Amino acid sequence: MKGGSRVRTLRELRVSLIFLAVVALLPFVVRVPYWLGVLIVSMYFAIVAAAWNLLAGYTGQFSLAPATFAMIGGYSSGLLYHHFQISPWVGIPVGVVACGVIGFLLGVVVLRLRGPYLALTTLSFAEIIRLVIGNSYTLTRGDLGLSVPAIFEDRLAYYYLFLLVLVVVQLGLYVLVRSRAGLYLQAIRDDDVAAAGRGVNVVLWKTASFSLSSAICGLAGGIYVHFILLASPEIGLVLETGLVLSMAVIGGMGTLIGPLLGAFLVEISSEAFRDVGLSHMLVFSLMVILVGRFFREGLWGLLERLRDRRSPIPHPSVTPEEGGPT
Amino acid sequence: MLALEVTVTGLLMGAFYGLMAIGLTLIFGILKVVNFSHGEFFMIGAYTYTLLMLKAGVSVWIAVPSAFLVGTLVGFATERLLMRPLYRTYSEWGVMRDEYAIIVTFGLSLFLMNLANQIIGPYPYRGPDLVAVSRVEIGSLMMSAQRLVASLLALVVLASAYLFMRSSRWGKEIQAVAQNRLGASIAGINTARASALVFALSSGLVALSGALLAPLFHAYPAVGVFPALKSYVIVVLGGMGSAIGSIVGGFLLGILESLGATYISYAYRDTFGFLILMLVLIFRPHGLFGEKVREV
Repeated sequence: MKGGSRVRTLRELRVSLIFLAVVALLPFVVRVPYWLGVLIVSMYFAIVAAAWNLLAGYTGQFSLAPATFAMIGGYSSGLLYHHFQISPWVGIPVGVVACGVIGFLLGVVVLRLRGPYLALTTLSFAEIIRLVIGNSYTLTRGDLGLSVPAIFEDRLAYYYLFLLVLVVVQLGLYVLVRSRAGLYLQAIRDDDVAAAGRGVNVVLWKTASFSLSSAICGLAGGIYVHFILLASPEIGLVLETGLVLSMAVIGGMGTLIGPLLGAFLVEISSEAFRDVGLSHMLVFSLMVILVGRFFREGLWGLLERLRDRRSPIPHPSVTPEEGGPT
Repeated sequence: MLALEVTVTGLLMGAFYGLMAIGLTLIFGILKVVNFSHGEFFMIGAYTYTLLMLKAGVSVWIAVPSAFLVGTLVGFATERLLMRPLYRTYSEWGVMRDEYAIIVTFGLSLFLMNLANQIIGPYPYRGPDLVAVSRVEIGSLMMSAQRLVASLLALVVLASAYLFMRSSRWGKEIQAVAQNRLGASIAGINTARASALVFALSSGLVALSGALLAPLFHAYPAVGVFPALKSYVIVVLGGMGSAIGSIVGGFLLGILESLGATYISYAYRDTFGFLILMLVLIFRPHGLFGEKVREV
């Protein structure tokens, strides 16, 4: 299926690296700080969407908590600075570790759950964390949020830091997906019982995937709060998770490049929609429904189809290889 | 005295919670998917009721049934447009099926929320009162007449929905499809009609609860988020797919929340439900009254 063949994955990596190279050159053309900000936010979302894609697209664990982990990452650094004046350069890595550990624990908790149950549990986890942070006024200043210091003077520095993280994440995911571990993850996605039957340590790889994905989200969130200078519960809203999910789905789930394309497309065009006075989420949620309903492979899948027109268009619901176990 | 008041408040909320959640469990029973746009049907009901009363000036007697009707129609359309592929070809989808259902209903939830925001605007409208009296005293117990009337109404609707599912011909067909779709269709039951009926009815019921709660919750685009989350808690508590379980679960959550808010902490009252949800999912995944439908 998607992402299965090595050739495909390599092509996805090549295209994403070309794409990121273009992004790296953009600041020479785009000099308006506002648009640089939009691109930075796109990269933040691209990192979170890529992390979510590792969990949902490659491992088949449909978590609804990616934004929550970004929020945890942000608050880790924010709280350390607020209470102990610890530098963000220490706080961000602490956040990454914290998210990795919490993600691991969540992974253990939801180990036996599947599909809608997994989605519900992670959703309630997300809401508990957000409500606790929003209500613990003495510790976190509640819904007001924590103001956090900047880590750079210049927007460009943030820009290239995010780009660096994005490139590393993208390369790391490529190596992971191509490795034996990547095959294990995809085997678990396609059929975890069969995977266990063939000797895959399902417990280990599921929890590892949860932990890694959460840690990446935490890293993105940690840097992000120091860019917007505020750690607030709004980072972890279900709506934000919805945005992350839309990006990955529109771009193409279970592909390396899908979340990247989706994040930039959604974030940049939402600015354009804002000018027209149309709610961007209205358009994207409609796109999510249409993609889910009619072409599961997303934007990247469409591009792939255009590339080799000879192959007939597979219908999402009837291709035998997509049908799961009976 | 306080304990009694807390329990009564909990029981009153419980009736709403049951009405809110029963649709979710019915849909799960027949389609085996969780409808993540459940809360937006609550919103549709709240808006229909509020706007009809405020802008069109119709009476309560028309506004409340209209909310049910509009919810039913939107639910019917949703089923036709988005839910059909789940069973059009009778094949096991495995993981893809859950993925499809989550993506599409989550997308629908965001879509409806933003549609309301775009058309009606983000400002909350306070739902007009159901009755003119504001307080009722029973013995030494004071309670809001609004809540009392709305709860009684909710109870009546719940009871009739339950009787409909149990005893009517359509209800029995629905039960049959929920048990075994293929078997039911071999026995000559129109499974597509049963599914459409369930989806429409479920959406109507949650929209009705939205109308009844509009004086309390108001009507705004994101009003459905909390009712939806509560419904998930209730349905998991009572067992997915069990109608009676969702009613019992509703009362249970109502009382637990009311107790927790009074005796533990008001600020964290909404977290109790989620904690219960996680605990039940971890230790008793098929709920307190659940039929063992969940695959391992």
